[in-house]
Amino acid sequence: MIERRFHRELYPPAAVDGALKVFERFATFELADEGDYRVVRISAKRPERELKVARELGNYALGLTRQGGLS
Amino acid sequence: MSTQTLDGFPKSVAASDLADGSVTLTVDAGLYPLEAVYGAAYIFIDRCFVLLDRPAAGSIAVTLADKKGAADGDALRRLAGEFANELLTQAWRQKIVEENRVVLELVTTQALAGATARAAAPAEPSLDDLASFDFTEEAFDDPLGIAMSWEEKYKKKTPVEAASEAAAPAVVAPEAK
Repeated sequence: MIERRFHRELYPPAAVDGALKVFERFATFELADEGDYRVVRISAKRPERELKVARELGNYALGLTRQGGLS
Repeated sequence: MSTQTLDGFPKSVAASDLADGSVTLTVDAGLYPLEAVYGAAYIFIDRCFVLLDRPAAGSIAVTLADKKGAADGDALRRLAGEFANELLTQAWRQKIVEENRVVLELVTTQALAGATARAAAPAEPSLDDLASFDFTEEAFDDPLGIAMSWEEKYKKKTPVEAASEAAAPAVVAPEAK
């Protein structure tokens, strides 16, 4: 399992949720709120896939933050 | 996680993780506005995996990992340098936009005001107005026949018309003199 921590001041919740929706068919996600962070725990069949999904998720959330004027 | 410093960067600013194939730059939010960090990060998402974090108030950490997996020290150092340059570009661009905001707003306001004034101008005549307009009235004298159609002016004349025209004093065009 890989964990990605998205700070609320940098990633609006809508951007993280939007990214999770896009990648939900590639892995299993657990979402938790921990202080200033939205923590996403990613599980997949293989560790490489977990890492790949985690990294793509980060990029997608950043893209939504920037493009959607969510910042 | 085994982090190492990068040549040419202060220890507090950049660190690389060769095992993870990533480099992390810690940016002072007072020097680089958040919009500049977003702009630079967004430019890099086509070639890198980018993750932003706020390790402490007033600072932003940007972690970059090359998508192609370039993980040697030189590649990571180059990546960090390119990002730092882009960050500076974005910050400078942001500053220019802020400084010219008043001018931009003024120009936009004038353009919109001009469009509004045109919309408020009297409307063109309607079809009803044109239908009731009297076109029979002679608008002006036309001794040189400028307003005549080509067919009307150069039509083949009957012998009677030609004779009467020859008898009348001719009006000669200036270029024919």
